[in-house]
Amino acid sequence: MSDTAKLVYGAALGALYLVAGALHILVAVVGPIPGLDALPLTGDPLAGFVMLVVGAVFAAGARNLARDAGEDAIFVSVGVLLSVGFGLVELLALSAAGLDAYLLGGGAGWSVAGLVSPLLYLAVFGAAGYLAWGRKFLRGLSAA
Amino acid sequence: MREIRIALTGNPNVGKTTLFNALTGSRQHVGNWPGVTVEKKTGRVSHNGYEIEVVDLPGTYSLTAYSADEVVARDYILEERPDVVVQVVDATNLERNLYLTTQVAELGVPMVIALNMADMAEAQGDTIDLARLSEFLEIPVVRTVGTRGEGLDTLLEAAIKEAATSPHHEHTIGYGDDVEATIAMLADALSTDIDLARRYPLRWLAVKLLEGDENVLDKVRGGPALARVESILSSIDSDEYEAMMADKRYEAISAILPQVRKANVRNMSPSDMLDRVVTDRYLGIPIFLALMWGTFQLTFTVAAPFMTMIEAAVGWLAEFVAGSIEPAWLASFLGDGIIGGVGAVVVFLPNIFILFLILAFLEDSGYLARAAFIMDRPLYALGLPGKAFIPMLVGFGCNVPAIMATRSIEGEKDRLLTILVNPFMSCSARLPVYILLAGTFFPEQAGSVVFFLYVLGIAVAIASAKLFRSTILPGEVSPFVMEMPPYRIPTAITSLRHMWSRGSMYIRKAGSIILIGVLVVWALASFPLGVEYGSAESFAGMIGHLLEPLVAPLGFDWKVAVALIFGFIAKEIVVGSLGVLYGTGEETLSSALLADPGLSAAAALALMVFVLLYTPCVAAIGVIRQETGSWKWAGFSVAYGLVVAWLLAFVVGHSAGLFLGGI
Repeated sequence: MSDTAKLVYGAALGALYLVAGALHILVAVVGPIPGLDALPLTGDPLAGFVMLVVGAVFAAGARNLARDAGEDAIFVSVGVLLSVGFGLVELLALSAAGLDAYLLGGGAGWSVAGLVSPLLYLAVFGAAGYLAWGRKFLRGLSAA
Repeated sequence: MREIRIALTGNPNVGKTTLFNALTGSRQHVGNWPGVTVEKKTGRVSHNGYEIEVVDLPGTYSLTAYSADEVVARDYILEERPDVVVQVVDATNLERNLYLTTQVAELGVPMVIALNMADMAEAQGDTIDLARLSEFLEIPVVRTVGTRGEGLDTLLEAAIKEAATSPHHEHTIGYGDDVEATIAMLADALSTDIDLARRYPLRWLAVKLLEGDENVLDKVRGGPALARVESILSSIDSDEYEAMMADKRYEAISAILPQVRKANVRNMSPSDMLDRVVTDRYLGIPIFLALMWGTFQLTFTVAAPFMTMIEAAVGWLAEFVAGSIEPAWLASFLGDGIIGGVGAVVVFLPNIFILFLILAFLEDSGYLARAAFIMDRPLYALGLPGKAFIPMLVGFGCNVPAIMATRSIEGEKDRLLTILVNPFMSCSARLPVYILLAGTFFPEQAGSVVFFLYVLGIAVAIASAKLFRSTILPGEVSPFVMEMPPYRIPTAITSLRHMWSRGSMYIRKAGSIILIGVLVVWALASFPLGVEYGSAESFAGMIGHLLEPLVAPLGFDWKVAVALIFGFIAKEIVVGSLGVLYGTGEETLSSALLADPGLSAAAALALMVFVLLYTPCVAAIGVIRQETGSWKWAGFSVAYGLVVAWLLAFVVGHSAGLFLGGI
């Protein structure tokens, strides 16, 4: 993938995560926002904070690539790892809650709709970046 | 079968403990070094007709007495005289590791070098000529990869061979004419002390005295050589000598390395690149906080199905006991006391193990060292040394080893400060309380509530450090020097082993101190004879009602007061006590708490804050007393914790009450 493609990718993911994170925090502070009911925003401010962090890493990567800082898209690569990592955290958390609720009869408030969580569906875009070049970066890291 | 003793030494983060585990397997014993609380690990291995005892010495960068770890390591080598010292060397960082080699070699003990992480050095493109390195150092060098168990047999054979070889000569560094003349004068003076000369190499003693080593000077005090030694030392500048001697050691290393190693020089490794992001001035701390949030999300959620299974098992057992055992008091003793109390604590084992597994993963990957680095700037600004971050992180597991870990902090005031704020780091014993209350009163945001509590603990620790630094412990903060280990993909076995090593302590506690604690609570809730179990007329009720006025402003009733009193023994007992006092196991404790009109959601939040901050447990108080050498500081820690806990629980509880409908 060329640096230009990584720049566009980083900028797009950065914007998506930043907007999703900001909305999450907004909902946590002021409650449900009319017109945004369709968006699965849990209102957990700390999940919003995490999305802001991931978005900021992507955005910093896009900015550095735009300035041609000569760092091989490292910030975007780390953004990809964070995106996939937090997506896995969300997937594991939701799967465990589902297992607890449906198979063992414990827990409460779990629904299939809860699977449509921003940390999870945005991680799908992160996973695309991982498959495109993130794996190579991770392999290089473990060999270092 | 012949017996020999091997001491493993080396810098921190060189894979020493991994090599120790690979060598000794399950034949290990963990205790403390005599007189100090530095951990002592010993293990045994049989090889080629030899029964070998392996002692894992504390990781140190040098053998100068800057910290307790260094004193323990060198005293063991000098006074216990192991048959062989094996120095574990990180093949990816030879310069720094060989500095310790020059110091160990000066002790004149049989020595073998385990060139560990050799695979990583090779993956970097470095090639190391082992034979030439061994030739230059006059020490056998063996290639090892501790994580895969490579080179262990060769290492043991080299150690056995070295143990059988005699005589051994001291390996010395030439420090230049001026220094050597002073060393000779000091050695001559020291030779008049027969006892000292018999126990220690004179040249080594002289070198250490020139470096201003107070610990060695103490050994000379009271002996016949003292007057001459002091006269010689008064004529020199020991700081200057120490710097000159360190330069000479590095000169010797620099002379050897180009002849034994071909290093692959690159512009920037992936590890360096990753460091640019995770230690970024602006993003480093937010990334760390985000990772901590992920840690607690997993700790809370992934454990849930396992907790449900344990709850079901405990519930079944309690029901079985209640229905099949006579007389009623015995059924109550077993059901309400042991099963209800201990079961309420055991149910949190999955959370504890998952938390430790994730922390082990982060530590083994090399990330936690970066976390310490990025936290150095804010810690320094607030009066804490950067090195304090490691004990603070260890405090997430247990405050007792965390307080012991402050021994690596050089400045006495820095160390005391770190000890005093460490109890605010939320140890795993408090986690069951958070999980119970957050899961009961804030089921949708439980992970975030737990994360908030951990962050609050860090914030209170830092604020307290700032307060202490500007009042009772004024002074400059020591500079932070720490090496960044390379990133690694942790192996499952290593991380699981670390998880078990820390998590099993919780199981032992459940079977000992927690069991005793909940039995005492059961007895207090059952007597005097004839009262209703756990009622206000029981001894527990009387104590609780006596203390209730103190905690009523926080929204707590007498049951909570009793649970908090027993949490003083161990924090897990808070949950066990509530289980006993509400007459339930953990299975129905959540429902009982929700149904209690005396405990609101805001009060539950205040209770979590109180448990986070109030007095350290008995074991932690004992260690504070031991490490500070004073009951004064232990008492101060208890009193300060109680005051801070009460004030913050009041503020948080009443603030939350504004949003949640009252406390």
